[in-house]
Amino acid sequence: MTDLPGGGLARGLLITLRTMGRRTGTQQYPDVQPALPPRSRGVIGLLEENCTVCMLCARECPDWCIYIDSHKETQAPAVEGGRERQRNVLDRFAIDYALCMYCGICVDVCPFDALFWAPEFEYSEYDIREMTHEKDRLAEWTRTAPPPPAHDPNGAAG
Amino acid sequence: MGIGDAVLPDPVKFVLNWGRRYSLWVFNFGLACCAIEFIATSMGRHDFIRLGVIPFAHGPRQADLMVVSGTVTDKMAPAVKRLYEQMPEPKYVISFGACSNCGGPYWDSYSVTKGVDQIIPVDVYVPGCPPRPEALLQGILRLQDKIAGEQVSLNGGARGARAARSPERSTARVLTAPLVRPDSSP
Repeated sequence: MTDLPGGGLARGLLITLRTMGRRTGTQQYPDVQPALPPRSRGVIGLLEENCTVCMLCARECPDWCIYIDSHKETQAPAVEGGRERQRNVLDRFAIDYALCMYCGICVDVCPFDALFWAPEFEYSEYDIREMTHEKDRLAEWTRTAPPPPAHDPNGAAG
Repeated sequence: MGIGDAVLPDPVKFVLNWGRRYSLWVFNFGLACCAIEFIATSMGRHDFIRLGVIPFAHGPRQADLMVVSGTVTDKMAPAVKRLYEQMPEPKYVISFGACSNCGGPYWDSYSVTKGVDQIIPVDVYVPGCPPRPEALLQGILRLQDKIAGEQVSLNGGARGARAARSPERSTARVLTAPLVRPDSSP
């Protein structure tokens, strides 16, 4: 079938006209916050109470972007005549977000659920040194972490 | 210190900075996957022309803002520096993504520049691997805040003076030089 002269132009204009009537899909970001899915890999938050300074996250991190410092404290025995215990106390927990590649391995390997994904993304900085965020900032992000998904009722029992 | 260094009064500064912050002709230095997120930000869904960022600069000579999105390799670094130097003052740089911030996953690579800030001054660092399109929009908003607070003088203010004085901090020759070995003699 041969096209009439100008047929392609008319087809294109028809598509333009049809699209003109449709609603636009633009998200008005600075005015309206985007509705991010709960699984978003925005930022990694730390729940300090759960951290036992086992260093698994820092060792598994492929980028070596987690900095942990701790010291040992001796605890009094739990019962009368018991033995003194030592425990690690977290001094510093920092993630260098300039370096982080958001693989989530630290979240996966944490045996005590101290690290969480949060959908926060608004943390660009003017200086590269400010991209390393300490544990107080990470704790703020933990509070924005969405609740874990509900258990699948059709999943395995137990 | 000449007449050109005199700081202009606040109303002039406000108008000049207002004009600058809302007509950022952007030049995308797309080097890797982050460039796709930049393109997503420029398309209809996120549409950064709403913020006055115009992605139709014909080249670096017509651009105000350079977004370095992706892995800067040592081989590409001289080109990044040359195209940055072709941009007219005042010029701004957004480093988009972990690779251009500090090398990212390639922080131990033999061939990757460990951050584009080693060759050109960066105004805003956007974290992510790759960052969301909204993260770039937020980086643009922070850059606009920074532009609004700039001092303005006839010769370009603090930025112009800095650009005129800045020594060749890292030339292409320095960047592509082989490893410097420590002095072995005791």
